[in-house]
Amino acid sequence: MAERYSSFSSGGNMWLLQRLTAAFLIVVLAFHFFLLHFVHHADEVSFLMSAGRMETLSYYSLMVLFLLTATFHGVNGVYNALINQGLTGTKRTVVKWTLIVASVVLIVQGIRTANAWAGIGLF
Amino acid sequence: MSTQVPKQTDESSENATDAETTVPSKGDARREEKRRRAAERREERQAEEAERAAAAEDTVELKVFRYDPEVEGKQEPRFDTFHVPFEKGMTVLDALMYSRDTYDSSLTFRHSCRQAICGSDAMFVNGTQHLACKTQISELSEPIRVEPLPHAEVTKDLVVDMEHFYDQMHAVEPYFQTNELPDGELDEQRQTRENREKVKMSTRCIWCAACMSSCNIAAGDNEYLGPAAINKAYRFAMDEREGEEIKQKRLEIIEQEHGVWRCQTQFSCTVVCPKDIPLTEHIQELKREAVKSNLKFW
Amino acid sequence: MSQSYNRGLIEDFGRWREFSAGMWAWIFHKFTGWVLVGYLFTHIAVLSTAIPAAGAEEAVLQAGDDVYTQTIVTLEELLLVRILEVGLLAVAVFHMLNGTRLLLVDLGIGLESQDKSFYASLVLTGAITVASVPTFIAGAF
Ligand code: HEM
Ligand code: SF4
Ligand code: FES
Repeated sequence: MAERYSSFSSGGNMWLLQRLTAAFLIVVLAFHFFLLHFVHHADEVSFLMSAGRMETLSYYSLMVLFLLTATFHGVNGVYNALINQGLTGTKRTVVKWTLIVASVVLIVQGIRTANAWAGIGLF
Repeated sequence: MSTQVPKQTDESSENATDAETTVPSKGDARREEKRRRAAERREERQAEEAERAAAAEDTVELKVFRYDPEVEGKQEPRFDTFHVPFEKGMTVLDALMYSRDTYDSSLTFRHSCRQAICGSDAMFVNGTQHLACKTQISELSEPIRVEPLPHAEVTKDLVVDMEHFYDQMHAVEPYFQTNELPDGELDEQRQTRENREKVKMSTRCIWCAACMSSCNIAAGDNEYLGPAAINKAYRFAMDEREGEEIKQKRLEIIEQEHGVWRCQTQFSCTVVCPKDIPLTEHIQELKREAVKSNLKFW
Repeated sequence: MSQSYNRGLIEDFGRWREFSAGMWAWIFHKFTGWVLVGYLFTHIAVLSTAIPAAGAEEAVLQAGDDVYTQTIVTLEELLLVRILEVGLLAVAVFHMLNGTRLLLVDLGIGLESQDKSFYASLVLTGAITVASVPTFIAGAF
């Protein structure tokens, strides 16, 4: 049994990344909620307002980073939870790739949306 | 009040078939009769004792999990109730021993030292993992429910199969190793006071498996090393006498996929450990050590 | 040992009554985490109506008649959506506060008061949620 570990372990890196993204998300998620519910109100949303914000480069990049970290953090969290429940073998490989594909779709769709507002031609 | 009624009927029917197949000698028949009478007397005495205990003022009510795969009437798990006269300082183990000695000699549980040092009698008492010999009856609410440790296979009554737990303990190589020997052949391998203080709590483990039983993650992921094994790894990884090289090896063991990263800091192990080992703290420190050594490696 | 008895599901979640603080914190953190990823996916799905909207005439955009603005306005008019948003806030606030607690635990800070910090997260979540209800419901009627 002592021999069952492999020298390659990405567990530690994923663990660390999960914590680092969490620390980043605390700040950005708080900002996001505050800006879009308290500064601007839910009943005042319009395409032009959103576009106005997205056209600023700093806001655009913050939101893209927000999307990337939240997706990683959320999807990795779900994957971890499943491993904790003893997910192994083929099932695990299937779940892993399904989650990866879902993340890619989410990120692509998110960036296209941001581009649409920012007036960047790529969408 | 149910004592060992099912078993008794079993025994006598077994004996009856024995008697039919082999022609009994006179002596056999006499011994048989004697045994039957003794059993009757015992039953009577037990019934009396039970009645007296139930009626008495200062008795405690125990509900004990019963299961025995080898006796037909007991394969369906059930709870038996025992009334035990209370005495000052009585522990759950005392009450179980009283029940076994007075009412039902087939009641099975492990125990040895009776002073919280051998680690044989961890059980599930009123919903948490306790060492029976270290748990005062006066601190529990009645009826006291006694069950075998959750998340382990039950072998009989309160006895669970500990094999898996021991496997996990052995997986972390729970013995001192070093390749940094002192110069003189007869020199002692001395530990500094500070270093001894650091590992002190982690050396107290008595292999009772209470922590493993309380852990949600160990329940879901059978390969998870579990708190006790990780604590054991901590005990040696933090021992400076083992040297850097061995420490790296130890970190690799606890860093495997079913090692420290599975811990979700639920603190359930720390809450139940009868030796008050700060398990979660040790696991967390190992996680940080592992992260640090990985970053250094980059 | 030829047979042994496994007590099944009751061993895992049938014992919730006996869970200690840290175990509850774990359950809640899990639940809120899953709700948040679920929301992230729906959120992007709804927002991506901005992609077709970007092709609309300037005048349509000015009047707020584009798909995106219309979708959001229709959704935000529903009281149910507003209530769900308050729920989302509660979920996010708890996950953030308890997440902070977990980060501290990972750093080895305050391990002895981990139960108290869990209760504090719960109370604070409640307080922040209640205080935010007026802002979240504003304009829904
Ligand atoms: C706002 C700041 C946030 C903090 C401080 C935070 C903190 C954490 C931490 C420390 C964990 C790891 C728990 C563990 O593995 O032991 C975690 C898990 C998780 N987080 Fe977050 N998080 C935040 C935001 C988010 C967001 C925005 C999402 C959704 C996209 C999310 C989804 C999840 C999920 C799904 C898990 C896994 C839950 C599970 O174990 O089942 N979190 N969070
Ligand atoms: S760490 Fe504590 S609870 Fe776990 S086996 Fe050792 S003594 Fe028992
Ligand atoms: S009997 Fe030895 S620990 Fe309880």
